[in-house]
Amino acid sequence: MTFVDREWLLTEQPASRRQARFGQAYRTWTSFRSNRLAMVGLGILVMLVLVAIFADVIAPYDPLRGGDLRTARLLPPSWTHLMGTDDQARDIFSRLVHGSRLTLMVVALVAVIATPIGLLVGTTAGYFGGWVDIVLMRITDIFLAFPRLILALAFVAALGPGIENAIIAIAITSWPPYARLARAETLTLREQDFINAARLQGASAPRIIWGYVVPLCMSSVIIRVTLDMAGIILTAAGLGFLGLGAQPPQPEWGAMIAGGRRFLIDYWWVATMPGLAIFVVSLGFNFLGDGLRDVLDPKGER
Amino acid sequence: MLEVEDLRVAYPTRRGMTEVVRGVTFSLGQERLGIVGESGSGKSQTGRAILGLTPSPGQVTAKRLEFDGQDLRNATHAQWRKLRGARMSMVMQDPKFSLNPVMTIGAQIVEVARLKRNLSRAVAKTAALDMLAAVQIRDPERVFAAYPHELSGGMGQRAMIAMMLVTEPDLLIADEPTSALDVTVQLEVLGILDRLVTDRGMGLIFISHDLRLVSSFCDRVLVMYAGRVVEEVRADRLHEARHPYTQGLFRCLPTIEGNAGPLPTLERDAEWAI
Amino acid sequence: MLNIESLNVTYPGGVVAVEHADLFVRDGESFGIVGESGSGKSTVLRAICGLAPVTGGQVLLDGTPLSSPRPASFYRRVQMVFQDPYASLHPRHTIDKVLSEPLAIHGFDNREQRIERALEDVGLGTGFRFRYPHQLSGGQRQRVAIARALILEPKVLLLDEPTSALDASIQAEVLNLLDRLRAERGLTYVLVSHDLAVVAHMCGRLMVMQNGRIVEELSRTDLQGQRAGNAYTQSLLAASQGYRRG
Repeated sequence: MTFVDREWLLTEQPASRRQARFGQAYRTWTSFRSNRLAMVGLGILVMLVLVAIFADVIAPYDPLRGGDLRTARLLPPSWTHLMGTDDQARDIFSRLVHGSRLTLMVVALVAVIATPIGLLVGTTAGYFGGWVDIVLMRITDIFLAFPRLILALAFVAALGPGIENAIIAIAITSWPPYARLARAETLTLREQDFINAARLQGASAPRIIWGYVVPLCMSSVIIRVTLDMAGIILTAAGLGFLGLGAQPPQPEWGAMIAGGRRFLIDYWWVATMPGLAIFVVSLGFNFLGDGLRDVLDPKGER
Repeated sequence: MLEVEDLRVAYPTRRGMTEVVRGVTFSLGQERLGIVGESGSGKSQTGRAILGLTPSPGQVTAKRLEFDGQDLRNATHAQWRKLRGARMSMVMQDPKFSLNPVMTIGAQIVEVARLKRNLSRAVAKTAALDMLAAVQIRDPERVFAAYPHELSGGMGQRAMIAMMLVTEPDLLIADEPTSALDVTVQLEVLGILDRLVTDRGMGLIFISHDLRLVSSFCDRVLVMYAGRVVEEVRADRLHEARHPYTQGLFRCLPTIEGNAGPLPTLERDAEWAI
Repeated sequence: MLNIESLNVTYPGGVVAVEHADLFVRDGESFGIVGESGSGKSTVLRAICGLAPVTGGQVLLDGTPLSSPRPASFYRRVQMVFQDPYASLHPRHTIDKVLSEPLAIHGFDNREQRIERALEDVGLGTGFRFRYPHQLSGGQRQRVAIARALILEPKVLLLDEPTSALDASIQAEVLNLLDRLRAERGLTYVLVSHDLAVVAHMCGRLMVMQNGRIVEELSRTDLQGQRAGNAYTQSLLAASQGYRRG
């Protein structure tokens, strides 16, 4: 059993595929680690995940059921209610904690749906060129033309409101920029000699796209997706605010802001706390995206 | 004209400061000095250090670095502006990358002439056209109005030389000036450089990886390996070179007259890098 | 064995890269193509591989015209080594992956042994197998490119300026390696270079191209005897002698 330590990872002569891959990942990690803001972003993201996983343990109160409506409504932050209570006498802190699950779900699902679609469309269009490129890019343009909110409204009208429909609406309007990005990268890569060498070995187009082009596009797309996350969270919050996303009593942060709007002057904490949460998470994604760009930028690698 | 003693250029790396130029010493008068080395030998870094063009994390130190009596080691930005372009110039390898792609050739040369020699626009234009003619461009007016991407490699390099010499500098550093050019064009451009340097009494530092070319063009040759000068020899005495690296470098080149057997390869001695 | 008849290559946009090129390379021969930039020499190689838009003429291998796209059997007989060692290896693939790709595509067996032997044949130890290209020097990368080309056991190797991007001392090593491999395996080479000395050293016969046309065809002995007929060839010969101070 080989002893995995720093020396093993940084060796100049890796002895297996695994060692080479881990070594490369480790080098990328040490480079990333030196960027403090990026580590802050990563920390925020890790906290979000942990809070979402352990929501039941962390939240002191039930997020959906309030306390006594006569005495516990709109209480300011205190030691018993860390962030106060809202107009339904529900503890805001607990709602925030449980709401992190919804936020995480939105982020993860949009990334998982939009990124592969964007990569597939972009690399295929870029690699084949000609009419394949034209057709795929026009389809991309069509989707790019949809404003998210209007599309969400359309979905809601057709399928009913709910956070799942909101996620689909956001994902469908998120992938076009990734396709454009992937296509641009593919166009520059297409003429490189290592692609020609692969063609000269008889590699099929899908093999080349999947094994050669996509790995090199991944960096740019990942960076773009991460930086987009902030906007996606805000869009989901906006949809929630409009009542088109998560439905009451779900503790979605955007919906919480909408609910607290009426009380902004006298009971500021009802809307501000979820607002702060959105702010912190968006900032975290931005820092992370910047850090990833510094580390994964192909300029530094090639 | 140029005095260099114990020039060192170091860059910060993960393992501390690494020196890419390790104690280069030479002096240059009104003559042609060639600096030869392979990639990683530090020859280009030496040239850039003399002009104060070492990029930012790099650090340049030297016991002496003087141009015409002026100490270059702690020169201020203002002092460099007076020297660079006006009295010391550099011609680089690929005109595609060293000429401004969005300005016409004429505009670039005129800009340099006006900036460094304080000429009026009309006088600068005449100087630019004269210079383009001096580098044997047959139609100076056309090239004056052309953009860099419209010129061939050889023309672009000649335009670059014109731009660098319009200010009548005393010292010219040429960093692989003909490496990106076709072989027949190379000789033309070298001929032009030859004539101009002789006519104007300039000092020339010719940096290249091509030992044969440098030895046929220059008076003296410095051979660099791993940041150090391993040999200094007169160009016409190159066959008497004593350092095994120089000898190996000379012998490993294929020749037309040579037989088809294996080429003698360079056996690198670890001691040369110390 | 390898034959080109009246080849025309025109790129979209009207740029004529090669015009009326004829070429004949015998089995086991080392044939050179010399020219400056824009001569079309690299385009000829790409046309042989099917990587350039052929607008006239044909390429024949062992007498049979090649179809486009090339069949898989073509890649088992003809391979190419590219000029730029920094661009011909995928930056995210280990050397192991670079060498196992062609084996996987063509369904070879004994892959482990073949990869190890390929590395040995080009003088790289097994310690290189799992490195990434950016951890290798230019000469080492070019050796990997040669190993990759030879791992499918082709009979013809097309070499597009294989040493132009390398230092002189590394060039000597790589040229010696190529010589040795040709002798050991009885390969046929078509070597393209702008350097007349390299071509004269490596090839018994060569042809000179200028502006997309073949200007002259001659042998190494002709070259050494200064018996070049064409004026352009003579100017190339003169240029290769180096600079003479006036």
